[in-house]
Amino acid sequence: MALQTESNRTTEQIISQFLAKTLHAILAARIPHLHAAAARGGGAAAPRHRRRDRWFHLALGDPPPPIEHGGLLPHGVLEPLVVDIVLSPRDASASAAAAAAAEPVVERWTAQCESPPPAPADAASSSFVVRRTYKKSIILLRSLYSLLRLLPAYRFFRMMCASHQSYNYDLSYRVSSFAAPFSREEEKGFALHSFAPVETQFGNLLVSVQYRPTLADFNLEVSSLSPPMLIADYVGSPATDPMRAFPASPAERGGAPPRPSTSAPPLFQRPHSWTSAPIPHHPLGIGGASPIPVADQRLSLPESYDPRLPSQQAAASALRKGGFSFDEFKLSPPFSSSTTPSPPTFGGANMQFRLPSETAPVSIPQAASWKSQALRGPNLSDPTRNFLPPPSPRSTRADHSAQEYPSGSRSFRKSEGLKTADLFSNLYAVQKGLKESRDDSGRFSGVFSSGGSPRFGFSRSSSRLSIQDDDDADYSYPFAVDDVDISDSQTRSNDGKETSEYSQAYASSHRSQDAAVGVLVHMLRTAPPLRDQSYSSQSSKSELNGDSGVTSSFFMSRKTSDALEELQTYKEMKEILLSQSRGQLEDPLKQRTE
Amino acid sequence: MNCEVCELKEVEVEHYEIREVLRCILHTILFHRALGLVRPKDVDCELFEITYVQCGDPEIEKKIEDKIDEFINKVDKHPNRRSQICLSFYDTKNKQPSWFISKVERLYWETWCINLHVLNPKSLPKSHQNKVIDAGACAFEETESHRAALESSLREVLFQIIKFANEKKDHLPPIPSNKEGASFPYEITIVSSSESSFGWHADVFKRMLQTGHPTMIG
Repeated sequence: MALQTESNRTTEQIISQFLAKTLHAILAARIPHLHAAAARGGGAAAPRHRRRDRWFHLALGDPPPPIEHGGLLPHGVLEPLVVDIVLSPRDASASAAAAAAAEPVVERWTAQCESPPPAPADAASSSFVVRRTYKKSIILLRSLYSLLRLLPAYRFFRMMCASHQSYNYDLSYRVSSFAAPFSREEEKGFALHSFAPVETQFGNLLVSVQYRPTLADFNLEVSSLSPPMLIADYVGSPATDPMRAFPASPAERGGAPPRPSTSAPPLFQRPHSWTSAPIPHHPLGIGGASPIPVADQRLSLPESYDPRLPSQQAAASALRKGGFSFDEFKLSPPFSSSTTPSPPTFGGANMQFRLPSETAPVSIPQAASWKSQALRGPNLSDPTRNFLPPPSPRSTRADHSAQEYPSGSRSFRKSEGLKTADLFSNLYAVQKGLKESRDDSGRFSGVFSSGGSPRFGFSRSSSRLSIQDDDDADYSYPFAVDDVDISDSQTRSNDGKETSEYSQAYASSHRSQDAAVGVLVHMLRTAPPLRDQSYSSQSSKSELNGDSGVTSSFFMSRKTSDALEELQTYKEMKEILLSQSRGQLEDPLKQRTE
Repeated sequence: MNCEVCELKEVEVEHYEIREVLRCILHTILFHRALGLVRPKDVDCELFEITYVQCGDPEIEKKIEDKIDEFINKVDKHPNRRSQICLSFYDTKNKQPSWFISKVERLYWETWCINLHVLNPKSLPKSHQNKVIDAGACAFEETESHRAALESSLREVLFQIIKFANEKKDHLPPIPSNKEGASFPYEITIVSSSESSFGWHADVFKRMLQTGHPTMIG
């Protein structure tokens, strides 16, 4: 009798421990925050739990607090244990009743002792029954543990554990001794798996699970919790300080796990548009009134993820496949040098690769103008040109003079005749002298050689220019600074004639701005080549035919103000040439008189 | 002692999938039969969206990896064949030593037969190989469909293991106390189809004769 009582007590203990272990295994594999708490504990059981952890030869670590503190387990071994795993919608605005109704059950685990107890056996067989009960319970727990990882809900559990994003649903549980059975309609959506019963002295221990074969019916996606807010201090807005440094590199931000910051590091204090102070009605839901809340919100930024953004939708779909981590989405949005003020956008999974590796001041590029681009340098298409230092005053003046030249195309230079060859060579000599006193001569020469036109580039790599470059060997351009071997002595003898013709051309262009430009074009077209007049006339005709369309379009696109400025520059050049010619005329006269 | 035999569903695998599939199946079986103290370790398959459980015992892991290597070497020599790996649990019995009989006798009480059909890419018909147009797209689609089918088959096999391991428990010997990991001795044998169509049959019959009470449950 005593042995019978002892075996009953042992069996009762086996059943109660089995129920506790079952609940532990289910919650650890279904409830993300309990899993996270267990992971923080290191996985190994505390000393006070080690003995209990050895039950059924399955060490699961410390039990979750709800189990440890009691209250969840049934009071008697004959009471069933029903664990419902539910999807709780995150919409807090719903009422309690509505919320309860909106919590669909995805799994229902049931463990209970059923059927009348078998006839009491003798003492010898009782111990055998106890050992058999324990052995079979071990195997049953192994099977339950494996099955927990094969059911569909496990994938969603892993998704929630892997990312710090919040979804529109959360996995929660309900433990009870009794649960309302599913309706017929509901049961159709469930599949049933029952484990083989384990015979005990109190009846057969049955474990079964009703689960949904698929969770596709639930629109599981990343949720946006915060209400939309407006961001006033976006990058590029007048309110921001453009010289403020950006936060640290992506490696520092995204690689490390989120740490709740109580010291409020400086990078979180900067009122970036993605971190900042409460800005109402912004779709990204960014807010925070103080540095510490900003940090927390920044760390929890994914919670305000906007699922409408395509990059985020793509990421959410990747999560459904279970193979994506959202760690990189804790980063700030990518650096944008766009001139148009727009809220920062998240660039998707590659966002971290788009961020600069170093902090850099933000420079808002100005609206591009022909003049400013010409001043800045050769490669106008290079966005880094925005950060080029401004040209020195001398070079600016020289750039003006270079810019004034009708240098939109090399064809203009090619079309010059011998008449203006001396004129331009003198001007060229002036420019050369200016060049020697400059610091950024290289850039200026690039401007000069390519004519200072953004359209046709300062680069010599354009196809049109490359065709013209083929003639460089035979042709020297008056504006090419590198062509230092232009024989000034050949052209200077005709300085007087060219100078007078030049002044007349400019006098006529004073009538109107457009007329001035037209006259200038005409003058350049009709000017003889610098070296070989016969060759230039042949080549200029062919190239004029080919390039006239280009040049006309070039001039059409130029603004009137640019032409006016050019006119002014030409006037200055005229003055210089006139003064030079006067000086040259006076010198021979003086020599003769001497 | 009865020898329970579980014939698992045949799985078609490509060469590079052999290791993952065998790991998944062998570890799942051993997790159900290594009844010593274990600290379960969840492992995500690299090729499939399946998580299986390992015992966390380095000895078991090493033994499985060695056998998988041996199996792959055999498959390399004889590609495109149906092969079988058997995981058997036995009990040892000391016998009276004699001139021709060994001292220790193995009494097999359970055998799991894993059936693999290793596909050989070279065995594709030439008409497929000669289609250059859309070959890449077709190959990708075939790979995807094969991968999905294989994952489904693998899940079925795992469910089959769980079901069998739970239904057949009476034949298990008593669990040794204070033992960690594999509580029962086991062996993994490779049976290929080159050893004739009754290759595995002969091996199972041999064990049945040794146990004295043949029982075939698949």
